[in-house]
Amino acid sequence: MSTATANSSGPGWASWLGVVAVIFGILQTAAHSNEWLTQKVIAPDTAAVQGIAPRCPEDELVEEGVSSAECELMVAKVRIMIASRPDWFRGFQMGLSTLGALVAFGSVFIGAALVQYRSWAPHLAVITFAGLLAIDAAGFAAAINTGPLLRATYLWNSLLWFFIHLVMTAGAVAGLRSAITGDHRQPVHS
Amino acid sequence: MQRQGFSSTAIIMHWLMAVTIFFLFISSWWMLALPFPSADFKYRVLPFQLHKNLGITIVFVLAILLYLRLRYRPAQAASTADQPWLRWLAVADHVLLYVLILTCCGSGYLSSAYSGWGTTLWWVLELPNWGYEDERLNIFYSDIHLWTCWALLALLSVHVSGAAYHAFRNDGVVGRMLR
Repeated sequence: MSTATANSSGPGWASWLGVVAVIFGILQTAAHSNEWLTQKVIAPDTAAVQGIAPRCPEDELVEEGVSSAECELMVAKVRIMIASRPDWFRGFQMGLSTLGALVAFGSVFIGAALVQYRSWAPHLAVITFAGLLAIDAAGFAAAINTGPLLRATYLWNSLLWFFIHLVMTAGAVAGLRSAITGDHRQPVHS
Repeated sequence: MQRQGFSSTAIIMHWLMAVTIFFLFISSWWMLALPFPSADFKYRVLPFQLHKNLGITIVFVLAILLYLRLRYRPAQAASTADQPWLRWLAVADHVLLYVLILTCCGSGYLSSAYSGWGTTLWWVLELPNWGYEDERLNIFYSDIHLWTCWALLALLSVHVSGAAYHAFRNDGVVGRMLR
């Protein structure tokens, strides 16, 4: 896509880090987009918190393989989200997930550039992965300030993504340093 | 016509489809946990319409991708040329991926057509509701949708592991889809 200098036989670290960035970039773009949609759909002061009884017709229960008890608990799931999040959380999450989806999608292209070993790719990889790390940290900090029911939903996911991006950032920094210093170590043969 | 890698259009479509397919998997898991729709409970409306729109769009994108793939055939990847079983596995994986994506999307559309719910493509184009409300057919196509999508997810993991394998070997194969 870029016309910048390409080296199809770039260093091994760039190839594996690039494909890892592409795979996780795709997954996180999808995850952030879903988070945006979840917050959009579960609006405050809607039917679930107005004491309206859910509709659970027998034919639809059979169709979806859902028990009557589960049908009623589906409303509880929405109520948990609305009751456990502070007023600012919905807007914050929608903003953060929009930013997260954009940066994560950008990391797919950065990953591609790493695999092709464009000259600018290692620098941008450090910046992009660090940006994703910051977004994970902001999401984690926001989730800490919700109620226990939402903390149970969000904290572990945020932590997992945080460490994935931490490792990717460390890999990009190490790769960038070896690119700058020209340190391409070969395996030791005894 | 042969070229070294895939065309830019094919590459962009491939990655957009990848994001969309994973988006659809994740959304399908949580949207089915939302309350059943009624005049008061409208939580499912947006996710279901979006799910159907993206599924229908994927079929068109896949058709274009297949056309480009067959019209502009890239040269065979060098690293698999001398390993027949890897070459066979790659071809089988791709053919099955195309078949499963089409079956998964098609069965989802058919299930919807027999559910009694209409589809407005991207909130603009009202699609003709040629189906009718039939619970038996709806469940039948819904089951096909469910199992072909699980099979698709399993096959995607083979596809991704293949890409990772070539990236770790740094043999240039993955670069053909990452130009």
